[in-house]
Amino acid sequence: MENDQDLLLISIFTFFTITLWVTFELLKTVKTTTVATTTQQIVVPLNPKIDIDTVNTIANKQVY
Amino acid sequence: MAYNYKTELGRYRRYYQALEPILKTTSSRMYTSVIFSFLAVSLFGWYAIRPTIQTILYLKREITDNTLINKQMEDKISALIETQAYYQQIEPLLPDVDQALPPNPDAIPVVIQLRNLASISGVLLTSLQPASTPLLGQNPSKNNNAPVSSIVSSKQQSYDLSVSIQGSFKNIRSYLSGIINMRRVTTITGMTLSPVVGEQSGSPSATLSDNILQLTLQLKTYYLVD
Repeated sequence: MENDQDLLLISIFTFFTITLWVTFELLKTVKTTTVATTTQQIVVPLNPKIDIDTVNTIANKQVY
Repeated sequence: MAYNYKTELGRYRRYYQALEPILKTTSSRMYTSVIFSFLAVSLFGWYAIRPTIQTILYLKREITDNTLINKQMEDKISALIETQAYYQQIEPLLPDVDQALPPNPDAIPVVIQLRNLASISGVLLTSLQPASTPLLGQNPSKNNNAPVSSIVSSKQQSYDLSVSIQGSFKNIRSYLSGIINMRRVTTITGMTLSPVVGEQSGSPSATLSDNILQLTLQLKTYYLVD
């Protein structure tokens, strides 16, 4: 009887451990991005606005 | 001792038979079934359910990520097309931008411009001293002995220049305006203005020259490192 209870406890703990482990593995899968680092670098947003006024100001300055 | 399969078989049979009375009790049967159920669920959970759900979630995540990447790529392509239009608009002005912020220190053109500006402004250039600068635009942070004064950003570098001029207040003002209007990006970091003492300086009868001032400027000029 004592042995049975011990084995039951061990099996319950094993079950919970495995359940938690599986849960965390699945969470990790959901949270981890599948996009490669190089792709992430490529898709960094680009601001297309060029400050033309500043360029014109530079062009209007003098060279001595 | 030689292995005798008949005696060994009999031994194992006795073990199995010894388990029978234990399993006959209800509580033991219940415990055994519960324990094996937990173990079976754990085992299949780890080796069958986990990989399956993991694959499903991975594929879902991949679809979401690829949709997002696709949208970002389209945005970037639109931005690049827009940038190209802007670039074509400013392309004729790019040499001017290069003059303002050259890709290497280009100390000599700065010195020449400051000298020419002195002539134009009508001031006397008494001294013009650039700090020793690297000949090419190598990164001075790699060399501890490099005299370049400071690193403004990872690509933008600068070095110091010291200029002394003499002239009237009006001409000095014209010279300062010229520096501000100079295309090469140059900033004034320090300025000392003092009256010029006459030829008999040091003697008790030394006098101040009329309207002649001496200006010492600390300048900083910039360039880009690739």
